[in-house]
Amino acid sequence: MSIEPIIETRGLGFSYVDGTQALVDVTISIPKGKRIAFLGPNGSGKTTLFLHFNGLMRPDRGKIFFDGREVSYKHHRLLELRKQVGIIFQDPETQLFSSSVKQEISFGPINLGLSRNDVEERVKKAMDDTGIADLKNKPTHFLSYGQKKRVAIADILAMEPRVLVCDEPTAWLDKKHEGQIMRLLDEINSDGITVIMSTHDVDIAYSWADYIFVMNKGSVIGEGTPEQIFYDLKLLEEAELERPWLLDIYDDLSNKGFLNRDNPPKTKDELLLNLANCVRGT
Amino acid sequence: MLKIDQYAYINRIADMHPIEKSILALATMVICLAFSAPLTSVLVILFMAVLSILVAGIPARFYLKLMSLPLFFLVTGVLTVALNFTTTSPDSFLWGFRIGRYWFGATGVSLALAGNLFLKALGAVSCLYFLSLTTSMLEIFAMLKKLRLPPLFIELMSLVYRFIFVLLETTDRIYISQASRWGYANIKNTYRSLGQLVTNLFTKSHHNSQMLFTTLMSRCYQGELNVLENSYTLSKRNLLMITFVETALLVTGLWSCGYIRFL
Repeated sequence: MSIEPIIETRGLGFSYVDGTQALVDVTISIPKGKRIAFLGPNGSGKTTLFLHFNGLMRPDRGKIFFDGREVSYKHHRLLELRKQVGIIFQDPETQLFSSSVKQEISFGPINLGLSRNDVEERVKKAMDDTGIADLKNKPTHFLSYGQKKRVAIADILAMEPRVLVCDEPTAWLDKKHEGQIMRLLDEINSDGITVIMSTHDVDIAYSWADYIFVMNKGSVIGEGTPEQIFYDLKLLEEAELERPWLLDIYDDLSNKGFLNRDNPPKTKDELLLNLANCVRGT
Repeated sequence: MLKIDQYAYINRIADMHPIEKSILALATMVICLAFSAPLTSVLVILFMAVLSILVAGIPARFYLKLMSLPLFFLVTGVLTVALNFTTTSPDSFLWGFRIGRYWFGATGVSLALAGNLFLKALGAVSCLYFLSLTTSMLEIFAMLKKLRLPPLFIELMSLVYRFIFVLLETTDRIYISQASRWGYANIKNTYRSLGQLVTNLFTKSHHNSQMLFTTLMSRCYQGELNVLENSYTLSKRNLLMITFVETALLVTGLWSCGYIRFL
């Protein structure tokens, strides 16, 4: 991609104490302002890679660059990096430490050294943006799983990062809440924030992402636009990935001549529109 | 217990300043304990019941159930005070029985003492119930911070409070998954399952604490859990009402103990 990268890694390697190679020679370039998905099975190294993005883990080998500058592990530089790159962890239960939603969200901005008024403003904005303003006075343990997930997102949004990294944001959510979270990530992205997420849901990755990285056993084994990834059958087989149902139907119907061969549809509506146009004979 | 926690957030006076509620509960408790007068104790019990049920909106049934919880301890405690024994004449006993050389029984004085103690203890308990039913832990933490307790102490308390609920939920999940596989079908299984439950909880808690540290680091944690403090404003009207009620209780107490006389 020709777009300027926000995060780059070169030859990143990391092994756990027991010798498991969690990351093997990962060299990637994440384009600025885009929607990025990391696809791969459990244990493929997605979370470990994410923890490198804001310096929570330090690689054994290789280098990481943020906005063109090599990541340094000096205290104040790390704090600066963590302000720019926010991570939302998979299990909100371990991320939320406070029993008060408002106090929970205020933790990040206060650490940034903002004034009380600025913190109040950021907390309010983060709560409005994530649609949890009505939970302000509720204790954390009264909330449902989906609500906790949104508080976890507000936690990070309040720090106003330039990159938002979400580890499995849709795990354990039902379809309705999954849709809400994905729309929220879209809104965040439309404000110019680079959004990175990991998932094993190929349908979400295909419809949502601008660019996809495929990981397996600690390596990035493929990257490209959703179309490039899901038409690379060899890659899909190697990564043990299914194809999105939209593409399967589109390919099958267009091969039989029931669909116009233009661009593969990204949503159900696009597919239906193509079908309707075809039936009308346009 | 969890129900008390829930009412603490949703009761009708949840917004009242925590310091006002604490003063009200603690001052009433001190007065109740200071005077050995049944009248004061009964007044305190009634007053706290009215506050909890009518003002704060705690369901009466739930309140009565709560009040009945300490009854067992109270009754056994009070019985030992009411019961006297003697080897000589049981003349002073209103009622009694004999075992061997000993006469056991209750005197008028011991009965009065026991009754007094019973009411006093129940009064003090009702004050504490009022506080815990109407004031959430979050407000208590805010108040302790105002009272300048060491931040480390309050941080630990609030983390413990938060993770009690995570722990309970985890316990619940593990228990259900065990029970659904005959984990508690007989005594032998129960012992084994319980052991595994405890070890599992321990390792999970350890894992959680490490994850928590990572997530805090990710948000620029530098050793202190600083958060936005809620601001409460003291209400002059409430303070005035509290002063009035406490003075009235104090005067009743002094009067019933004979320290003041009205002509």
